[in-house]
Amino acid sequence: MEIVSLKNVSLNSKILLLKELGYNSDGEFVLDKKGNKLLDRYFDVPVRVENMVILPGSEIILDDNELSISAYLEEFGNVF
Amino acid sequence: MSSEIIKDTIEASLEFSKQQIVNFVKKFRDRKLAFIEDEKTIELAKEQYESGESKFYHRYIHDKKLLFLVGMGLTLRKVEENAEKRQNLRSKLFNKYKVEGLHVAEFVQNGILNRYNSILLELVDSIEDLEKQIENVLKNIEKYSLFVQGRDRIGEIIRRTINITDSHSPTIFVISGEGSCAKLLGDNVKKIEDSLKRYSLEKISTSNREILFFKLSSILNN
Repeated sequence: MEIVSLKNVSLNSKILLLKELGYNSDGEFVLDKKGNKLLDRYFDVPVRVENMVILPGSEIILDDNELSISAYLEEFGNVF
Repeated sequence: MSSEIIKDTIEASLEFSKQQIVNFVKKFRDRKLAFIEDEKTIELAKEQYESGESKFYHRYIHDKKLLFLVGMGLTLRKVEENAEKRQNLRSKLFNKYKVEGLHVAEFVQNGILNRYNSILLELVDSIEDLEKQIENVLKNIEKYSLFVQGRDRIGEIIRRTINITDSHSPTIFVISGEGSCAKLLGDNVKKIEDSLKRYSLEKISTSNREILFFKLSSILNN
């Protein structure tokens, strides 16, 4: 699988990427398709654009932290 | 402005073109691409997921939620040198899975479950029994363990220990503490041991952690 790091990508490009995927942002948080703050699938915390990962499996956008990524691996296996 | 800051500023303003984004999204939807932030986060999570310990528990724990919490415990162990990160992740676990979930993760993080299993191996007579007992202790973590907190006093620790062991008669009961709590436990091992006449003690001490395993003597002698 190809991995694209968003670490040094501008906020503007990240928001354009989210829009292309059907999401949005208020400039700080990721907003879901209804305009609500998107919550991390495993820990229910709002996902910040500056700290997001977007992983395969029905477009899963998570907070970038070790627990959420580990939880993703538990659910989907090592897709990387 | 230092050259390092200038470099960061330039790197932080990396732009994707519209066509790049369209191409990325197409590959992403074909499951051929993923977007990450910090590569180290993924590497650490993968390392944990692929570890022998993780594979062992995948084999013997079938309850999805427990397996998930065990994975979280192994992950916490990986970040335990980074106090800020560790605290942040513990808070996330506590907020979502409450104190019981955090205690299951700590039980794994501190290596307690590994030692617990090796004691269990001396007592069980089948793999099925081992699986059942591992899941039972994790599902009922508060009946099998006491995690000493910073504010706890020794009298309270002993009172709670007696209450739990009298009520549930666990075959193995674990008391653990870190930092100042480890010292409190270490200084009072004799008092705790004297309050649990039916149990024999096995102690694991490290520079920052004290773990007391109390094993029900009548079971071990059979």
